[in-house]
Amino acid sequence: MVLAHQLAMESPLIETEAIEAIEFYDLAMRYNVSGVPQTTINDGAGVVLGAVPAEYLLQEVERSI
Amino acid sequence: MLVKILNQELTNQITQLFESQLVEPVELLYFFNNDDCDTCEETGQMLEEIEMLSGKLHITKYDVNENPTIAQKFGIQRTPGLVIAGGGPGEVIDYGIRFTGIPSGYEFGSLIHTIIMVSKRDSGLDPDIRKLLEDIKKPVHLQVFVTPT
Repeated sequence: MVLAHQLAMESPLIETEAIEAIEFYDLAMRYNVSGVPQTTINDGAGVVLGAVPAEYLLQEVERSI
Repeated sequence: MLVKILNQELTNQITQLFESQLVEPVELLYFFNNDDCDTCEETGQMLEEIEMLSGKLHITKYDVNENPTIAQKFGIQRTPGLVIAGGGPGEVIDYGIRFTGIPSGYEFGSLIHTIIMVSKRDSGLDPDIRKLLEDIKKPVHLQVFVTPT
């Protein structure tokens, strides 16, 4: 989780939200969360499963925006 | 007497961590809802206990029913909602960092580390990642689903 917040800290264009998936089960269902951590990019434009290196996450972000 | 959420050992650990790591002030904007929120009371108490561990931390609490405009300004749609920002009361520096839901268990560690990062005003990212971030030219919203375990 800290990686996403690091990206938000660094880039004025990135906002990050850590969501408690059990408490907000409806949101987890909406984005088909199957395990944690799972990162949804721009309301479902992209998705990254698991804890991944920053390079990979940014690659998926670039592909999704 | 109110039972504390953070035990003495954890309190001591975080106090020492904050003393050695916190640099600039951190403002926690905490959004709650008294009508329909199972974890707001516990989250609020936990944040108050954390605030007491360092003079560099300050919480402002907002009931979303009484402060809908402020909640909207910070994009808060659910409670408990937390914005970890720089600055202080009246001059919030928003970096776009949010927690939705109670930050307990594993996420408690993330919360403490995020507070320290914001206090340092430094992401701590490697130079090559900072360079990659310069290529991002459009707004990005990342929602990271997590659980306490």
